[in-house]
Amino acid sequence: MYKFYAKNGYCITSSAIYPLSEKRWLTFIKNPDFKKWLMRIKLTCIFLMAFFLQISLASRGQQVSMMKKKASLTEIFKEIKKQTGYDFVYKYELLKKGKSIDIDVKNRPLKEVLNKCFDEQPFTYSIENKTVIIVPANKPVNVIVAPINIKGRVNSDSGQPLPGASIQVKGSSKATMTDVNGEFTLAGIEDNAILVVKYLGFISREIEVKGQTTLSISLSENTQLLGGVTVVGYGTQKRSDISSSIGTFKPNENNTRPVLGPDEMMQGRIAGVVVTSSSGIPGGKNRVSIRGIGSLSASNEPLYVIDGIPVTPSDADLGNFGQSMNALSELNPNDIESIDVLKDAASASIYGSRATNGVVLITTKSGSKGKGQITVTGYTGIQEMARLHKLKMADPDLYVTVINEAVDNYNMQNGFAQGDGKYVNSISNPYPNRPATDWLDLITRTAHSSNLNLSVSGGTEKSKYYISGGYTNQQGTFIDNELKKYNAKVNISNEINSWLDIGLNTNFSYSNNNRVPSGYNLGTNLIPRALEQRTFDVPYKPDGSYYVGGTNELLNHNPVQAIMEEKVYLDNYRLLANAYANIKISKDLSFKTSFGSDLIHTQDYVYYTNSHPYGAGVGKLYDDRKLQTNIILENTANYKRKFSDLNVDFLLGHSYQKVNNSLIGVEGIKFPSPSFDVNVVAAEFTEAMTNLYATSMQSFFGRANFSWKNRYLLNLSLRSDGSSRFAPENRYGYFPAASAGWTISNEPFWNNSKSDLKLRASYGSTGNIEGVNAFAYQALTGGGYNYNNQSGIAITSFGNRQLTWEKANQFNAGFDLGLFGGALNFTADYFIKNTNNLLYSKPTHGTTGFTSIISNIGSMRNNGFEAAISGNVDLGSVKWKSDFNISFIKNKLTALLDDEPLLIGRTHVLKVGEEVGSFYIYKQLGIFQSDSEVPKAQYDKGIRAGDVKYEDVNGDGKIDVSDRQILGSANPDFTGGFNNTFIYKNFDLSVFMTFSYGNEVYETWAGGYRLGNGLWPMLESEALNRWTGPNTSNTTPRAIWGNTVNSSSSYSTRFLHDGSYLRFRTVSLGYTLPESFLKKIKVSKMRVYVQADNLFLVTKYPLLDPEVNISLSPTTMGEDFLMSPQPRTINFGVNLNF
Amino acid sequence: MSIRYKILNVIIAASVLFSGCGKQLDLYPHSQVATESLTEKDIEAFLNGVYNMVQNTPTNSSYVMFDIIGGNLVRGGASGLGGYGEMINDILQPENGNIAAQWNGYYSALYQVNNLLVSASKLENAQRKAEITGISHYFRAYIYYNLVTRWGGVPILNENTTEKKARNSEAEVWSFIETELTAAIDNAPAFSNYYYVSKDAAKALMSRVKLAQGKKSEAAVLAEELITSGRYQLDGFEKIFRAQQNSEVIFSLLNQTVESGINLSVLFYTYAHPVSGSYNYKPTPEVMNLFGATDTRKAISVDTYSGLDVINKYPSGQTGTDPIIVSRLAEMYLISAEGQGLAGLNRLNELRAKRGLTAISPVGEPAYLDAVLLERRRELLAEGFRWYDLVRLNKAKQEIGLTEAQLKLPIPTRELLLNTLLEPNDGY
Repeated sequence: MYKFYAKNGYCITSSAIYPLSEKRWLTFIKNPDFKKWLMRIKLTCIFLMAFFLQISLASRGQQVSMMKKKASLTEIFKEIKKQTGYDFVYKYELLKKGKSIDIDVKNRPLKEVLNKCFDEQPFTYSIENKTVIIVPANKPVNVIVAPINIKGRVNSDSGQPLPGASIQVKGSSKATMTDVNGEFTLAGIEDNAILVVKYLGFISREIEVKGQTTLSISLSENTQLLGGVTVVGYGTQKRSDISSSIGTFKPNENNTRPVLGPDEMMQGRIAGVVVTSSSGIPGGKNRVSIRGIGSLSASNEPLYVIDGIPVTPSDADLGNFGQSMNALSELNPNDIESIDVLKDAASASIYGSRATNGVVLITTKSGSKGKGQITVTGYTGIQEMARLHKLKMADPDLYVTVINEAVDNYNMQNGFAQGDGKYVNSISNPYPNRPATDWLDLITRTAHSSNLNLSVSGGTEKSKYYISGGYTNQQGTFIDNELKKYNAKVNISNEINSWLDIGLNTNFSYSNNNRVPSGYNLGTNLIPRALEQRTFDVPYKPDGSYYVGGTNELLNHNPVQAIMEEKVYLDNYRLLANAYANIKISKDLSFKTSFGSDLIHTQDYVYYTNSHPYGAGVGKLYDDRKLQTNIILENTANYKRKFSDLNVDFLLGHSYQKVNNSLIGVEGIKFPSPSFDVNVVAAEFTEAMTNLYATSMQSFFGRANFSWKNRYLLNLSLRSDGSSRFAPENRYGYFPAASAGWTISNEPFWNNSKSDLKLRASYGSTGNIEGVNAFAYQALTGGGYNYNNQSGIAITSFGNRQLTWEKANQFNAGFDLGLFGGALNFTADYFIKNTNNLLYSKPTHGTTGFTSIISNIGSMRNNGFEAAISGNVDLGSVKWKSDFNISFIKNKLTALLDDEPLLIGRTHVLKVGEEVGSFYIYKQLGIFQSDSEVPKAQYDKGIRAGDVKYEDVNGDGKIDVSDRQILGSANPDFTGGFNNTFIYKNFDLSVFMTFSYGNEVYETWAGGYRLGNGLWPMLESEALNRWTGPNTSNTTPRAIWGNTVNSSSSYSTRFLHDGSYLRFRTVSLGYTLPESFLKKIKVSKMRVYVQADNLFLVTKYPLLDPEVNISLSPTTMGEDFLMSPQPRTINFGVNLNF
Repeated sequence: MSIRYKILNVIIAASVLFSGCGKQLDLYPHSQVATESLTEKDIEAFLNGVYNMVQNTPTNSSYVMFDIIGGNLVRGGASGLGGYGEMINDILQPENGNIAAQWNGYYSALYQVNNLLVSASKLENAQRKAEITGISHYFRAYIYYNLVTRWGGVPILNENTTEKKARNSEAEVWSFIETELTAAIDNAPAFSNYYYVSKDAAKALMSRVKLAQGKKSEAAVLAEELITSGRYQLDGFEKIFRAQQNSEVIFSLLNQTVESGINLSVLFYTYAHPVSGSYNYKPTPEVMNLFGATDTRKAISVDTYSGLDVINKYPSGQTGTDPIIVSRLAEMYLISAEGQGLAGLNRLNELRAKRGLTAISPVGEPAYLDAVLLERRRELLAEGFRWYDLVRLNKAKQEIGLTEAQLKLPIPTRELLLNTLLEPNDGY
């Protein structure tokens, strides 16, 4: 068997010298056997890499003995190869020119032998990592300065080869370009030469050769000014032509995090984009807000457009389990090429009625011309819940003491004596010798996660492909919680002929999420369930069965039982695909038609066994399924032309999109045993339903871009959307926008070629539609209101034919400044966004028959400033790359229907002139230290010394809803992210931080503070700090039974905390193995890394995670329900390129 | 024409056809219809919808509210160290969610009833028109009875409105209820099935309404009409409260599992119980001691399951729902007994006899009233009577230590904020 490995017309042999002509070579690589073999070799390499990182290097000697007459060079090389193991690299044509030689050596060093062979030959050689490279000797050998030959490779930071990059020897005319693999050679240059490396869209670098013969040069992308193209709505645009505000994040191996979806990837990366987790469980929903609160309706999420398909903002689940799950986590982050966030109206308004909360364009990877690339990435690691010590509960003795103190206080204060119907009995610890149970510890664990991703990409001049497959297994930090995800993707494009090209992007995923109760509206949210247990209780009886909650033996649901006696999963199959054809009608005019679909099949399965508290003793199964089909048909025409100094680019388009939802749900009870878990065996169906509903939208849009002399930019766009959600007479909305830019640095007077400056300004309208139900304008009568098995109907909504689009007008002004040839970039934007006709389910007085009516309720204003700085600093041997972004956003409600404040949720209010997200609560002034301090009205209600003293705003002695005040806000003063990457030799270190300042968090779960209102256990810190007599505490009240004034149902500043934080989001340390070594194992790049996610949190917040917020809905903003915190993760990973 | 133009034309033509010039935007729901499209034929379905809504919207705890705040129940589970006073204080707060839900629930049901009245007026079949009108009036009276006993004077809405309305006086509400019930007695169908509203159901409610206003003899007359009608007989608890055909019930909401979210049983059973419940409320020790050994109501009314006291009138637990009885003959016996004063002792003793108790002969009206009241407490336990019985007879302060303010429920804060014309109840 022969073996070989080929590159670039050279031929390297290992067991035989096997020169090939170009043609034979091609036939060879097309041979399927060869391909198979190559694949096999590469796969073998992967495993070798994974398991045997230490491969012993050169084992054979370097001494040569040989005696030959009139031998051809190939013959000699073959012999040397045999003796030393050295490979030879040469061009067939070149070697033909060589002459035969006589040789007679015995145990001579290789170099000496080679020098003999090359004496008087028309070529010379260099040795590199056990390879002898033969190159033409094109100039006379200079004896004084030994010339060297350089081989090198130019990569992007993320390791992608850059074909066509130019390499010039400074101060000489010698230059070359990289080939399709990003590789180049430069022969006979001085060993102290300086190379200038340039590539369009990347920051140029000067490299000192310093005698090295192999170079690996990485260039950083210039994301700000000069660089490349940016994805915009319905197309791409040159960065330099953009006059609106677009933030871009391009994932690469230094900034990647072990996340499930694109929303998490953006976290902290783009100024003005705030991403918070609503829970730390795998696949939990994230809240993404772009430039502040965009809307009052629950949906504040931006529009996601994935490879051109606007996806519907639906949850991944069907609500059976009380917690929304994230549909975006079904995607594969490894497939993402770039995330572009359209922030201002000018960039977003091309998406019209769905763009008010910003638009996130997600572009997946595609192949590029050149040799096929195989990339394998993988990581494995562990996760744990951080900061659990913040939830240390009072031990049994302290607990019993506090409860009995509360009971005594109650009986004494009311004069109740034993035997009295209202007398409350004291408690005792039934298991005095038992150690305290750590209930949280029983249900949490150190979780494991792993991910493996494989992709191949490549293409020819006409066809390109990117194919990938991924597997993710992420355990949750609660026992039994595990998400498995399988992704597959094929992106192909093909130029059929000179005027037609077609392509297909597909994205398939299957995810299976084995869930645990972690939602806040299903009574089994695990952390509170664990904390509600008395610490002297245990989960199992001596006979191994469960203690059941709601009994004297165990007060609340047994969280261990809740997890173990249910089978809950969420299955999602998703196919996101888009096929297109692009027809060139003339040189300037093209027409594109595309058909896309996003098909999601969901099964939301919840089975409570007969031993589960909710299993009713007989087993209960909720089995709901949904098929969502999102179909989009789009046609666009594009006209691009250059008229001397004027560049124009026109777009005209039509789009029709329909989203159809088909549901089925069956709820069965009475199962023979827990192992029967499908409804066909249920003895009784308590519910069976199907449903069907749809929304559709028809849109027309156009855009005109003008650029004159590359200095003056003008961009106009208009979209008109018609939606089925509105009455026919109010159905169409129009969303115009304009932006202008002035690239000052392209003016003749600007004579600094190393800096760039562009000023931008824009104004435009966007709309929001997500607050509106499918048929909100119609007064509807719903079916299903049956009685005695007879079908019944009832009026289910008023209907509001006046309902119209929520519309935002946004002004944006900013500039982009690039300094030092793009090494330092600065972007800043200021915006004012006025949103009118805010859609909201307006709470209405109950006598109307309804509690809310969807209405256009008012107006609000967001204004803010955001800035991003990025820099590439060469600190000698260390390269430092830094990205910093920050945004300051202010929100104000400017008008409200009826102008009267609206109390919403528990702790919030909508009030003109105030922020949406303001906390509207009582202010705790302190603790009453003596009974005489207590106003009469409160004294009469049982308030005494030791109870909480609230501010009596209206001075009437009573504390009621009129004493609530605006005291803080869930909105931060500023937020941002700061990433630093240091590269030293083969090491890279990234430190990524995110921060938020000035936001308050309301601790809605306040069970730990009740101090005797019920038998709830309390935090040790609260128990120890309680008021026990004058001046013992001015913050924590006394223990008192049956007092709501001190409890969590009095919403007050006592439960409001500073939620500012600085989070060490990700710290990762990577090592790229030296190429000399990788050559041996036929790997072109390999990086191993260790990464810590959520390593460290600096905050004053007293509970687990100030970032975990239930929603962006103005009713619950900034409330902590003690849901699962974001885990702390340590991963080890490897990235391989072939 | 080159091929590329042909393709282009085909694509454009196909797109235009596909999007159908905006017609694709006219979408309608499949589970709902536009209200204006309904016709006469839909009125029977509307009527079923009214039964469903009246049954479902006032929420679970509304049906036993007067037991909860009347000293019959204390918190079960986690907080049950005894003492109902603390629980009552906690519930009777303007910000209490249950109270707001009941307010909204009754008005939400009223909205459907008012709509039915408007729709029924268009019916051509005069008899059916009368019947449906009668049923509607019954439900309106039933809703306002629930409202007035809780909050006193509330806005009377003869027809639906989105306008903010001030409160009517308590007397106006009572008189409105009587008018409605009169219309119901005149028009509602005759009794045939106790899961549907009948003239008798209206009479039974009228009798309760008269008693509430202290119109004792009128109440007794109505109650006697039903007792002597021959259509009803006192029946066993094991039938009445185990959803078996019985001769006692006059009107009950069927409350089928598939049609309802009202599950009283889960409020009372523990998770350890075979059919499992949330154990929100448990009977006080006093309630556990209400029933003598011979009392046939005892086993069905209360139970002790693995050491925990439970209300046992609603048997399904988490496995389903149970009918909710609105009026049954025993209440008529008790109204008659109370309405006639001592003269009604026979009725009291007839009921006692049926329940396995011996006859009594209290001396003097106060002692007799106490005896009737005690019997009511036993008979109607966990059926939503206790608190208002104490309130209407002015015994609440003395018996269970309520404050003056606690003789009414607070108007929910939410409602006060959204409708500034409403005045809060005194003391809240």
